[in-house]
Amino acid sequence: MDQSNDLSTLRMVGISKRFPGVLANDNIDFEVKAGQVHGILGENGAGKTTLMKILYGLHQPDSGEIFLNGKKVEIHSPKAAGDLGIGMVHQHFMLIENLTALENVVLGLPTKHPPLLDLEPARNRFNELTKEYDLHLTPSSPVWSLPVGDQQWLEILKLLFRNAKLLILDEPTAVLAPKQAKQLLSTVRRFAQEGRAIIFISHKLEEMKEVVDCVTVLRDGHVVGTVDPKEVQSAQLAQMMVGRDVFLDRRERAPYKDKKEVLVIEHLDCLNDRKLPALRKIDLTVKSGEIVGVAGVDGNGQRELAECITGLRQFTGGTIHINQKPVDGVINDTTLLGYIPEDRHKTGLVLKFTVEENLILKTFEELPYTKRGIIQWHEIRQKADALIKEYDIRTPNSMVPVNHLSGGNQQKVVVARELSNKPALLISSQPTRGLDLGAVESVHNFLLKERNRGAAVLFISTELSEVLTLSDRIIVMFNGEIMGDLNAEKVDVNLIGELMLGHREGLEATP
Amino acid sequence: MNYKINKLDSTRLLDIGGLVLSGGRPILAIILAFLVSAVMIIIQGANPLEAYSAMLRGSFGSVAALANTCVRAAPLLLGGLGVALGVKAGLLNVGIEGQIYVGGSAAAAVGIMPIPVAPWLHLVLAVSAGFLGGAIWGLIPAYLKAYRGVSEIVVTLMLNYVGIQLCSLLVHEPSPLAEKGAFFPQSPPILASAQLPILIKGTSLHLGIILGLIAAIILAYVLFYTPFGMRTKMIGQNPEAARYAGVNVKKQTVVALILSCGLGGLAGTGEVLGLKLRLFDYFSGGLGYDAIAVALMANSNPVGVIFSALFFGALRAGAGKMETAVGIKAPIVQVIQALAVLFVIMIGFVEYNRKSKQDKRKEQMPEDTIYGSELNK
Ligand SMILES: Nc1ncnc2c1ncn2[C@@H]1O[C@H](COP(=O)(O)OP(=O)(O)OP(=O)(O)O)[C@@H](O)[C@H]1O
Ligand SMILES: [Mg+2]
Repeated sequence: MDQSNDLSTLRMVGISKRFPGVLANDNIDFEVKAGQVHGILGENGAGKTTLMKILYGLHQPDSGEIFLNGKKVEIHSPKAAGDLGIGMVHQHFMLIENLTALENVVLGLPTKHPPLLDLEPARNRFNELTKEYDLHLTPSSPVWSLPVGDQQWLEILKLLFRNAKLLILDEPTAVLAPKQAKQLLSTVRRFAQEGRAIIFISHKLEEMKEVVDCVTVLRDGHVVGTVDPKEVQSAQLAQMMVGRDVFLDRRERAPYKDKKEVLVIEHLDCLNDRKLPALRKIDLTVKSGEIVGVAGVDGNGQRELAECITGLRQFTGGTIHINQKPVDGVINDTTLLGYIPEDRHKTGLVLKFTVEENLILKTFEELPYTKRGIIQWHEIRQKADALIKEYDIRTPNSMVPVNHLSGGNQQKVVVARELSNKPALLISSQPTRGLDLGAVESVHNFLLKERNRGAAVLFISTELSEVLTLSDRIIVMFNGEIMGDLNAEKVDVNLIGELMLGHREGLEATP
Repeated sequence: MNYKINKLDSTRLLDIGGLVLSGGRPILAIILAFLVSAVMIIIQGANPLEAYSAMLRGSFGSVAALANTCVRAAPLLLGGLGVALGVKAGLLNVGIEGQIYVGGSAAAAVGIMPIPVAPWLHLVLAVSAGFLGGAIWGLIPAYLKAYRGVSEIVVTLMLNYVGIQLCSLLVHEPSPLAEKGAFFPQSPPILASAQLPILIKGTSLHLGIILGLIAAIILAYVLFYTPFGMRTKMIGQNPEAARYAGVNVKKQTVVALILSCGLGGLAGTGEVLGLKLRLFDYFSGGLGYDAIAVALMANSNPVGVIFSALFFGALRAGAGKMETAVGIKAPIVQVIQALAVLFVIMIGFVEYNRKSKQDKRKEQMPEDTIYGSELNK
């Protein structure tokens, strides 16, 4: 059974895969070796996930072959892949929320005495592994109560549990805070030292430089080239990937003249899903024409803050006003508020709905999409086509279900919908999560454009560099409190780092 | 409304394409069900071909047969639509049986009352009463589901027993609806002005099937062309996203479930005002449960429900003829019916597994449920 022990090379040759309307993989050659971390870079929709799903047995290629240690293999299902020692962490979580961490890990594994489920040995193994890799996971906590970072570790733990020899990690750091990402990267290196092979997908060039031995760049389904990222310039990589130069540094901006207070929060208190205090007496004002960046390690109240402002979460104390109107329920006036939620699958999209339905998810009852009680599909389609063009959403047409789009393009659907009605206040939670460099650049441009138009923008991101380049003001959240409110033009990065960890001392030192 | 027809067509075409695809599954299931049942017929010593051809004659062979098929299909159609609407909203209304009794009772109450209005208005009032009866009955599970988080499946199922007994109570003296001194527990006859008109003289084909067809078309239209339909599908697919998009999920749940139950009420109304012409104890005898199968078979597509209701109706209509022709007892049709539904589910399962191997697997499906949970989709 266990051929997995001697996985030394895996080669994919001439892989092609066509979906209705797109050639997702076009004659791709690809090779990984044990002890190596092999990166894949590429724009949203370039075909990275598709290639990995073929390797993991979730898709069958239209043509092409896979060789394991030089021997041809057919991978018909994830189970077959598992038997070959291949494991995959998907771009979107595949955990069952109501089960505990441990139950999720053992799910699908054979038990010793079926049909009985004896979790004890598994629990021991779980604890051993978490100790070995220095993870702080409790086997008995239900998944829904875990922060995203822990959920990601849980996904990886699933692979270790199955003793995978080839680990496919599809954008594993997209949902992680920088510190967590660091830990993940060093763990990935450790996996390589243990003799495993790792395929690592990410949109972040620094991560690539840090962790991979070589990187294959895909564009429009074909291989552009395979290079050692330490030997080429970032700009060159970006060029290979997007086909043009990308600018992600801080941009010049004129102060907005006609400043009004748009969002006013006073003494806000609220509880998280576990009914523990998530926000403690928050005061915050966001004015028109400014981007307020929210920095902080994930899980320090950012999500709850966004949900309170948008009316999705009831708060236990304090007040929130948007343009003088108190928030006391879900706001569905899209000219008042746009909200890019952090979890596009759970909140932002109805996955089985089409792209066009998702693009008008909030406005379908308004003119001209509904006239005299009847939905005007041709109007919707026109609007959708315009948005698809404006926001460069890669999709065969507006009538495909949104879950057929690549992850980054799904995100663009949400961004397009939320910006399209020119909201007075824009709350964006991790809006660039999972986007390629070119798309990140365009989202930054869109947000700046909103700011220059006079929108008040609250920009929540665990990506500190992004907060630094985009914000006019930066607030740092820690443990449900605002640790500091800083001018982004002349900010001290180290100070922010300290504040993110809850150390206020540095604040008094600076004038 | 002079929209650009061609644009509309492209949408419709997609729909029809989907329907043809999803239509293949039930047809294959039906064929399989007939094949398996043929074995049972052979075991009972009859020729299945003869049995089936007798059945065919009994359901489609003459005007009378066709009328019979439609009469039997009518309550299944209305009830099936009720279930289908619920499913679209992510709600499983298994209480059609109870709603049939309550709706039927309400319709009968108005139908036996000599109201001094034009005859057509009397009929309209009686039918509306039937719909409202079911809908108001539906307030109980709707409220409990939306505001108390109680499973609608449990509540609607339990209310079936209550509905059946409620009707029973109403037709026994001293209830004002019971006929004085009757041999059977029953109501006085429905007044002529409140009866559903007969469509073909000499048959019992009443307006019920037309009501069902209209309801199916309206429902299909509402689901695709109205904000209400959009909201309904949204709460069925992803309630969290619906809430985020500004849908009042509780209210939408209540309204969708009430309408679903109202359709159940209409199913009973047709039986009472069109066929039985009185309110009887136990007059439905399980139609409401078959309605669930009808919706399942059609994958809750309103247009599909028309066909699956007609299929179920035809089975029942043909059963009698088959019994007299080859001596196979009528309940064999229950077997065929059940097998057809099981095969639909099984084919769906097999198809899904095959597809997931081929490629079509949805990105968000957890890996470990590939072999498990197509059913609760
Ligand atoms: N199941 C599917 N059905 C139809 N088209 C699909 C399906 N899965 C992917 N595609 C299409 O194939 C192309 C490649 O998608 P893929 O998910 O591999 O991109 P990706 O490189 O992983 O992008 P991202 O960085 O956004 O995750 C896209 O155009 C996408 O729309
Ligand atoms: Mg991807």
